[in-house]
Amino acid sequence: MASTDTAAHSEAGKLVDKAATPSDNRGPAERAPSSRSFAAADVVLRFLLFASGVVAVVVMVTSKQTELIPIPIPPFLTPRPAKFTHSPAFIYFVAALSVAGLYGAITTLISLFALRKPASYPRFLSHFVIFDVLLLGIVAAATGTAGGVAYIGLKGNTHVQWRKICDIYGEFCRHIGASIAVSLFGSVVLALLVLLSIYSLSKRIPKHSY
Amino acid sequence: MCIYTYLLIYIHAATSSPYHTKKSSSHFHISLSLSHTHTHTLEMESQYKVNSNGGIESGSTNTTTRVANKRNLRGWDLVLRFLALSLSLAAAVVLGVDKESTTVAMTLVPTLPAVNVPVTAKWHYLSAFVFFVVANAIACAHAAISLLLALANKGGNKGISLMIVLFDLVMVALLFSSFGAALAIGLMGYEGNSHVQWKKVCNVFDKFCNQAAAAFGLSGAATVAFFLLVVLATFNHHKKH
Repeated sequence: MASTDTAAHSEAGKLVDKAATPSDNRGPAERAPSSRSFAAADVVLRFLLFASGVVAVVVMVTSKQTELIPIPIPPFLTPRPAKFTHSPAFIYFVAALSVAGLYGAITTLISLFALRKPASYPRFLSHFVIFDVLLLGIVAAATGTAGGVAYIGLKGNTHVQWRKICDIYGEFCRHIGASIAVSLFGSVVLALLVLLSIYSLSKRIPKHSY
Repeated sequence: MCIYTYLLIYIHAATSSPYHTKKSSSHFHISLSLSHTHTHTLEMESQYKVNSNGGIESGSTNTTTRVANKRNLRGWDLVLRFLALSLSLAAAVVLGVDKESTTVAMTLVPTLPAVNVPVTAKWHYLSAFVFFVVANAIACAHAAISLLLALANKGGNKGISLMIVLFDLVMVALLFSSFGAALAIGLMGYEGNSHVQWKKVCNVFDKFCNQAAAAFGLSGAATVAFFLLVVLATFNHHKKH
């Protein structure tokens, strides 16, 4: 009991030491903790982007469903599959979300590297903000594209006689809907990333002298 | 190009700093403002000369350079904002007035000859087009409000400019997604989809489809303008530090 107590005490002492040493070393650069927390939030958001890209692509690719459809001539049932490759909108969606996931993975690694050296964080940020905005555009366009087609599939359109297909391919439509929801989350994450970068860049203006 | 130069002259005249007293010097800056770096160095030199002539100490040179450079970027910001306003308004109006009535030969009973049936295509029959028009109208309203705010915000209030950038970002996402949705549905109307038996409709409604395509082009340009606005804002922040 006593040993564990002392161990815990020494552990706490180490923690205090650990917490104290950087603040002693820091000295003039007193805005370092805010930069560090921004970098940590950056890593988390980039990882979320990677995860949402991968999840959206996997859910979309595994959405194949085969149903027996009655055809009029000759009158019997034939199995007809529904796949995402049947619509160019979904192909674009898969391509865009794959790119977003890959970008998320690469920049998570770079951002982790920047987390170890907080001084390099602003340079890293200013290089990647523009790509973030570009990716935001691509992912938002993919979400809109797939959402527009999926809405027609869900509701149909009587004016141009496009009948709905979600009453037949229920599982397929659930997959598509889940994938679009995940990609919507991904675009929100990207918007937050850009916002975080702009905010942290604008916050450090008074720090530097010209 | 002529219109751009005119806008630049107008904006530089509106936001010209007190150092630019003569019209000729202002025009000199306009003609060189196509590349930022050249303008930067030239303005630095000219500010330096004015300062040394006026007897101001050279320590303030950097501050004046920064102000001039900021003004320059601000001119581009206003031009892009005006472009985004007009383009998104044009896109919303072009698709909003899109309507076509025509007749289709339809065989109801195989033994009888085909009868002509009047059919109408309106923009609000397709929900993606409704989304497109609403998103462009919102972007247009935001561009108008932010143009006024940016003109009124001469002191460079950081809260207001950050708020404008935030909404610019939301507009980029909104416009990109509405552009994608409307383009996907337009492509579906143009090509059809044989897997789910959605027939193409653009062979019947050709004027409707052409007008929709024009609206997509305008909206794409407006989207690029908003994208460049966000990039310019980050570039501005980056340059300052």
